[in-house]
Amino acid sequence: MTMATGLVDAPLKAKAKRFGFLRQAWDHRFDYLYVLPAIVVMLIVIAYPIYYTVELSFFTTPPSLQLRDKEFVGIDNYGLILSSDVFWRVTANTFIWTLASTAFAFTLGLGSALALNHEFLGRGVLRAILIIPWVISAVAASYIWKWIYHSDFGLIGAVLVGLGLAERPPNLIDSVGTVLPSLIVVNVWREFPFAMIMLTAGLQTVPDQLLRAAKVDGAGAWQRFWHVTFPHLQGVSTVTILLLAVSNFNSFIIPWIMTGGGPSNASHIWITHIYELAFGRQRWGIASAYSVLLFLTLMTLGYFYVRALSSAENKERVA
Amino acid sequence: MSMTSIVTTRRGKPIDAWRWIGRIFLVMMLFYTAVPMAWMLLTSIKSGFAAMQLPPQWLPNEPTLASYKKLLDPNNSVGQDFLRFFWNSLFVSTMTTALAVIVAVPAAYAFSRFDFPGRKFLFFAVLLRNMFPAVIFLVPLFILMRLLGLVNTHGSLILTYLTFGLPLAIWLLKGFYDNIPYQLEQAARIDGATRFQAFVLIVMPLSAPGIVATAIYSFIGAWNEYIFAYTFLNKNEQLTLPVGIQRFFSENTTDFPGLMAASFMMSLPVVVLFLLLQRYFVRALTEGAVKH
Amino acid sequence: MAHVVLKSLVKTYGAFAAVNNVSLTVEDGEFVALVGPSGCGKTTTLNLVAGLIPVTSGEITIGDRVVNDVDPKDRNIAMVFQNYALYPQKSVYKNLAFPLQMRRLPRDEIDRKVREAARVLDMTHLLERKPRELSGGQQQRVALGRALVRDPAVFLMDEPLSNLDAKLRVQMRSEIKRFHQDLKATIIYVTHDQLEAVTMADKMAVMNGGYLQQYDSPAQVFAHPVNMFVASFIGSPAMSLIPLEASTVNGQTVLTGAEGWTMTLSPLNARKVQRSTTRKIVLGARHSTIKLAKDASPNAIPAKAYTVEPTGDVTFVQALMSGAVVNISVPPNVAITPDEQIWLEFDQERMHLFDGATELALKVD
Repeated sequence: MTMATGLVDAPLKAKAKRFGFLRQAWDHRFDYLYVLPAIVVMLIVIAYPIYYTVELSFFTTPPSLQLRDKEFVGIDNYGLILSSDVFWRVTANTFIWTLASTAFAFTLGLGSALALNHEFLGRGVLRAILIIPWVISAVAASYIWKWIYHSDFGLIGAVLVGLGLAERPPNLIDSVGTVLPSLIVVNVWREFPFAMIMLTAGLQTVPDQLLRAAKVDGAGAWQRFWHVTFPHLQGVSTVTILLLAVSNFNSFIIPWIMTGGGPSNASHIWITHIYELAFGRQRWGIASAYSVLLFLTLMTLGYFYVRALSSAENKERVA
Repeated sequence: MSMTSIVTTRRGKPIDAWRWIGRIFLVMMLFYTAVPMAWMLLTSIKSGFAAMQLPPQWLPNEPTLASYKKLLDPNNSVGQDFLRFFWNSLFVSTMTTALAVIVAVPAAYAFSRFDFPGRKFLFFAVLLRNMFPAVIFLVPLFILMRLLGLVNTHGSLILTYLTFGLPLAIWLLKGFYDNIPYQLEQAARIDGATRFQAFVLIVMPLSAPGIVATAIYSFIGAWNEYIFAYTFLNKNEQLTLPVGIQRFFSENTTDFPGLMAASFMMSLPVVVLFLLLQRYFVRALTEGAVKH
Repeated sequence: MAHVVLKSLVKTYGAFAAVNNVSLTVEDGEFVALVGPSGCGKTTTLNLVAGLIPVTSGEITIGDRVVNDVDPKDRNIAMVFQNYALYPQKSVYKNLAFPLQMRRLPRDEIDRKVREAARVLDMTHLLERKPRELSGGQQQRVALGRALVRDPAVFLMDEPLSNLDAKLRVQMRSEIKRFHQDLKATIIYVTHDQLEAVTMADKMAVMNGGYLQQYDSPAQVFAHPVNMFVASFIGSPAMSLIPLEASTVNGQTVLTGAEGWTMTLSPLNARKVQRSTTRKIVLGARHSTIKLAKDASPNAIPAKAYTVEPTGDVTFVQALMSGAVVNISVPPNVAITPDEQIWLEFDQERMHLFDGATELALKVD
């Protein structure tokens, strides 16, 4: 836009800019048709619910969820949450769960990707087997592991007793101290293949020439990894870790089916807790307020997520 | 020299210690991954009595397919339920997949090709959806479904799965479109095709692998989904597999062979589908995050 | 066939002008090369003619029709792309047939035309193959064939040879030239390789920074570059450009080098310099117009050989002079060693003089 500065006052300029945007949007009006179906569906199922959640969080709504009878209570719901002991317990669980699951899933995924990165007989089969836990349903995984952890006839108990390491099978998912780590083992079992897939693809972008050059320069396996491979994996690692963290933060099925959050809230994380408040105890207002808090936390995470993604996109533009 | 320790074999060939560490690690991962699945299979072919012994029968003394027969027998109530859940899952997943492809293809194409104002914002809005857990949306969605009269219908699931699967579906497909040279479409347009013809005749066939990958992704996602199905459906005859199995075994808490057989049957279709098409799938998933 | 007229063509992206006020006429049956460094706007210009991107302002005429708002498919043009843009899922036959199918020609006519094109381009035996089963040169030929079957008014070619290896490129260059002569086709050909433009085109349009610098026959552009950019871009090795200072000594116009030597100009060249508004003059000389001697002579200027590159036919010598690198070609039997003292004599008839400020060529009138 060519416009002599100084002659035009600021609001007018802003207006011109806005018209520029509208004009451009109009020029591209047919392009929007392609995304329209996607946007419409997302609006119905996402924007509307977000609005509703925020509204409900300021009301008390009867268990029947009859919206006519809801009562405005201001920020009482938020106060109730922040002053409850359970909230802090659940929050601590959520962070332990998210951090530990993400760290282990990423590490095991990276290890598997690296170990599978050179040709050997049966590599394809091995890779396929390692991916299967990620494909099967979390409900099936929960049942399989619930059975493995079974306090009388579980596989782990049987092995420990058989090896003479324990007198009787341990109560892994029925005791406060061991339940969370035990569930994390299940979650990592399902998730590490995802990290493995992402990082395997990342490894393919490491230029062979560079690795060979490093070898010629006398770098050992570890140095080659640290100075050549690892820097090339940074972009995909960031995205993988963020995706893992988000999906762990949002887990529901494994704790819900395996323990229902028990014993005494030891395996409740935010999502299961919100679910129980809403659909178990019909405390709609409190559950909504919880959701808003969760939403805000996720927005913070989301900020980093988008930043990581767009920096990945920018790199790709430059390349 | 490097920090690598060098181990020398009997023949005197130096072997990279890291390679051995890698192998040992892989064996451990194989155990971690495969033992639970093997135990599921072994348990599923035991009798209920044989499954509950201490010390356990590592391998079943008298293997039996009784649990599978029961699940697949349309003449008893367990089999009737299981088969119905199976068909429900198949219906919901297939519908979701078909709709997801129809909606995601044009959107992904637009994100890949056009430079319209707000394009970036829209794309991140789509991606941001990935961030938010189903539970945040449950209460309002439940109200919305009630409003639309969709509670206790498969429509509620299809609509929700569609939305929640779209962001990644679009992302996956966009990666594929990014890799199809734009010059092909330009050539087609000069050769006499309209923009739409260029898309249908040239781009669509080339993106078939991407569409397959997106379809598998949607199918697996819908097949395995639990929380919406658990919330929106009440009637036994409408339940999908994950919820149906959970309902069933919360009433029969000790039938572990049956539970394992059901878990296996539930996993089988998606695992087979995945193994058949994993090449496309893995490629698509990583295309978005990694550029070649 | 048809002529193409570009009138004040402009294409901007935001504040950036990719094509800036370009006007030129391509006569019916003419082969015009758009040449310039990458980012000079040549491909954008071609895409504007093709209708693949919308024009910001200006007018494009093909034949006698203004085509600004005409869809690419209705402009009656054919295009050959740098990476060939062959439809990977279609066989060669179907690639060639596609433009005809789009025009809803009857099937037997399509078949006839495809086989005719295949025969002309000598690729009948390749018809059932997929593009990925072809060599680069074969793919290139299919791309040409796909343009040819249409019998279009204008052929647009976007660096069609740049993905081929050097040997094949030379071969395809003569094939395309032959193709143009046989068909009397109107061709607009984009390339960054000035040699391609010089060897193939009837006229070349040299572009830089979105502007058309010079539009003329290769011989004219080579002999009379309008400015320093064109002078240095056309010809290989590049024309040497030596910054000098003009002054008048004893009534004669002389140029002085940074090392202090002077060169007395011929009357014609002196007139050119006198007309310029600046005293900073850039001397341009092609390698073949500079005489190299091992001994001093009255008009020769001393210099030091810097590098020596024998190529077989000729040996190129680079010398440093007044802060510039000067290219000289000598017969292969002249032995020069680096750092050797040499004397250079410039041919006043064939040297170029440029205004050091505006970079434009100095003219007599």
